[in-house]
Amino acid sequence: MRKISFLRQLATQISLALVGLFVMLPIWGMIRLAFDGSLKGRPTEFRLLPKVWSFDAFMKVLDRPYQSVDFQVLLKNSLLVSASAALIAILLGMSLAYAFARFRFPARQSGLFALLLTAVLPPVAFMTPLYIILSLLHIRTTLLALIVTYATFAMPFCIWNMRAAFQAIPKEIEEAAFLDGANDLTSFLLVTLPLALPSIAVAGLIAFLMAYSEFTIGWLFVEKADTVTLAMSIYAIVQTQYSGGAQPWSYLGSLAIIMSIPVVIIFLIFQRTLLERMMFGSTSD
Amino acid sequence: MKKNFSTLLYLLSILLVTAVAFGLRIHAANNLSIDYDEDDYLRAGQVYAHLIRTSDWSGFLEENDRPEHPPLVKFIIALSILSEPESPLLPELPTSAEPNKYLPRNLVRPVRTVNAIIGTITVAIVALINPVAGLSLAIHTFNIKYVSQIMLEAIPSLLSLFAAICYLKAKQSKRSGLNRWLILSAIFLGLTAASKYLYCVVGIAILVDWFMNAKEKGTVKISIRTAVLWGVLAIAIFFLFDPFLWRSPITRLSESILYWPNYSATATEVENAGFPMWQPIFWLFFSPTVWHKGVFPFPFDPFITILALFGLKRLWTKERLYVLWLGIGMALLLAWPTKWPQYTIMLTVPLTFAAAEGVFLFRDNILEWWRARKTRVKTHYNKIETRRALPWLVPGLIAFAVLTLFPLIFQFGVSLTNFNTASIRDGFNGGIWRSVSGGVTGQLPTMPADINARVDKVNFVGLNLYPKVFSFISYSDGWSVLFFNILWTILSVLLQCGLGLAVALLLWQRGVRLGKLWQALFILPWAIPEMIGAMMWVNIFQTDWGWLYLAADKFGENSFFAIFANALDKGPSLWLIVFLLPAMWYGFPFMMLAASIGLKTIPKEVFDAAAIDGASIWQTFRYVTWPLLLPLLVPAIIVRGIFSFNQFYLFQAYGFVDSTLATLSYNVFNPSGGFGRYGGQFAVSATINIITVILLMVFVMLFNRWSKAGEGVTYA
Repeated sequence: MRKISFLRQLATQISLALVGLFVMLPIWGMIRLAFDGSLKGRPTEFRLLPKVWSFDAFMKVLDRPYQSVDFQVLLKNSLLVSASAALIAILLGMSLAYAFARFRFPARQSGLFALLLTAVLPPVAFMTPLYIILSLLHIRTTLLALIVTYATFAMPFCIWNMRAAFQAIPKEIEEAAFLDGANDLTSFLLVTLPLALPSIAVAGLIAFLMAYSEFTIGWLFVEKADTVTLAMSIYAIVQTQYSGGAQPWSYLGSLAIIMSIPVVIIFLIFQRTLLERMMFGSTSD
Repeated sequence: MKKNFSTLLYLLSILLVTAVAFGLRIHAANNLSIDYDEDDYLRAGQVYAHLIRTSDWSGFLEENDRPEHPPLVKFIIALSILSEPESPLLPELPTSAEPNKYLPRNLVRPVRTVNAIIGTITVAIVALINPVAGLSLAIHTFNIKYVSQIMLEAIPSLLSLFAAICYLKAKQSKRSGLNRWLILSAIFLGLTAASKYLYCVVGIAILVDWFMNAKEKGTVKISIRTAVLWGVLAIAIFFLFDPFLWRSPITRLSESILYWPNYSATATEVENAGFPMWQPIFWLFFSPTVWHKGVFPFPFDPFITILALFGLKRLWTKERLYVLWLGIGMALLLAWPTKWPQYTIMLTVPLTFAAAEGVFLFRDNILEWWRARKTRVKTHYNKIETRRALPWLVPGLIAFAVLTLFPLIFQFGVSLTNFNTASIRDGFNGGIWRSVSGGVTGQLPTMPADINARVDKVNFVGLNLYPKVFSFISYSDGWSVLFFNILWTILSVLLQCGLGLAVALLLWQRGVRLGKLWQALFILPWAIPEMIGAMMWVNIFQTDWGWLYLAADKFGENSFFAIFANALDKGPSLWLIVFLLPAMWYGFPFMMLAASIGLKTIPKEVFDAAAIDGASIWQTFRYVTWPLLLPLLVPAIIVRGIFSFNQFYLFQAYGFVDSTLATLSYNVFNPSGGFGRYGGQFAVSATINIITVILLMVFVMLFNRWSKAGEGVTYA
């Protein structure tokens, strides 16, 4: 292949710029809102740039974005819920993933099918039953309920991915460990697990992000302000706006940006790995 | 001997198909209620019958009741009521009037019977070519309905089929130039035009096929000359059989055709129907069984359409004219401003040919599976290995069962009841368990299910809710959530793939500047959490305070923004685009990355070889890049497909829109919003969920089957 001509380079750059415009248009809309200090409520006139450049919204949001709850409390809730959900999904799913990766047993194929099916179900599919079950257990409005809910959303996906991770480790390594006197458990803990850890961490990261950015269904499991997560507070701003609330829209914009930045950085760094995980590990085979 | 037998079988099947077709159509002709427009066409027939009776032949030059349609079919209607005594001319009603229920029965019956017979002949001809296609046409309920009523559909449907068959005969014959079959085909096309304009789409399909053929053979010049002659002949026949045009052809023809844009823009019934652009596709997946209870045996239509989708590829290699006919016809209907269901009849003939190929495809697959069953190895399970697996399986299974399976089973349990907001207190105090356990063991009676019911005690309804909910999501208030969900999935995946692949190819060219930077920028939509992305788009399109509306205010009535905003307020067609834009925005980065990774795995030598062979850019893509890339893209496409099928946050963020324009997921979450009149039906929501699970099961099976990589994972 030859290098492309100048004309083709130009055409390519123009096309890419058009796509870039398409990508940036909605993002810019949010950025404009976030930095506009003149907003009292919703925007009332068309502008491409903020009327009054200001950083106030970020300051306000970093202090107290939702009702009387501090940013730190929201962040703490978010991190606690997401991390616990990811950990539960990983820890409880690990042994099942290993069993499916290493052993043959009756009904294995149907089990794999059930696993894949539950991994592609929409979170909403688990919503109604969890709402009723957790209500029956009288823990629906606690942080624990949120953790359980998000762990449920993430677990099938984590199991499927960990299975792929275990499978990628050659069986021979374990067999060598057996010769040295290890049993199933010790060879798993000392040989397989450390090798699979990076992939498992990525699966956990995805589970974490799922919980971190979910904020619609979560509201079903909240009654008091102190169990709200960061993501949910965005939805709260939207909801109060729909009902004619008074918070400036710049809060919405700045909170959305604050929330997105860490996720975007993670995606930029791990893009290839995340892509493979999200395709259920099918590119790596 | 064997040959004779199969000939006999062939003839028998044709007879059988014809008999089925005739029985269904006559039954429909006798039992269908009077529909819109039937009085108009009957009146037009009466006018002509009067002319024939009084031998006023010159009257045909001046009379054409409902001049927007050419006269041939009306003439046939006149002939079929000729034997009846003349009755007073029907009143002329506006096109928006309700169906005239009091049409004289003695006139309705003969016209309907003649139409039904012509419809049956169409089926017989199709069956002669392909008995399976004939059977599909015989049982196609829309076809039955509109060829058995006093509509214009039966005759042009038959004539256009003749035009296609004669052209295909000419294609086979060795004699070039305007041979006998081509002349016949032109005559039939002219007659089709003299019956109903829309059906001439077969002529366009013939011309396209003709041109493609000529290009392959390298005889474009000669073919164009013949085709022009053919077209002129068809137009001449059209004029010959449209005496109404003879006196002042240009004025009357233009009046007749210009009627349509005017009609679709001003007629109140068109506006009231408010059909979106894609309504014709919906009609293909719909059956009029719900309009006329007890007239049709079963709503076969959606199944025929699905089979046809599977059969398209086979039909293309076998006889592409039918596929062109179907495709061009569909494109025309999508562009055509009025969306009446009877228009789809012009597609039913090629549709059933495709459906027949779909049937053959499934037959071949099943046969192959049956033959291969002996060679499959059965996995033997090692007892020791199973025992070793147990300690790993048990804790994981418990967690999986508690967190994942139990909610799903619980969900299924709820779907067997009529649990809703009215019975929430009873339900939370053990009502769900009481009714499900009592119902399953037979201690409690199974109650009939009702989507609207609001009882304050939970009752067991068994599986009764399923058919109700299924028919609710597949058709209610003239719309289908299920259909929208599938249309949505297909369109958004197509758009995402298209843009993602295009960008990947652009970035993949050698020496593109700023490649890394562009790629990093394009990943953003994928990285931004879905709900935030959705809100960014809401910020543009939200009514009244979105960017679009604010821009419309600022730049005034005539600006692009204002026109777009106005169009958006009018109907659902544009809303689909407004939803698809963010869907494309979310999804294309994923496809771009998958395609980029795939492109890197293709060895450079392949392209050097293509360049040496002098392949153009398009040829290189079509015959080298695409076939190598596609298998690598399939898993990504399926993942995106599942994601689009489940799309929820986008619709949730746009929340204010009518919930019929949303996926099943959205309707599960919003049982009170999505099922407004029915309100807070947890059981309905649970049932929709279980149906979704079953649909996704099909997706996963496709995933296993089509993705080679996925197979490697599953069976490793």
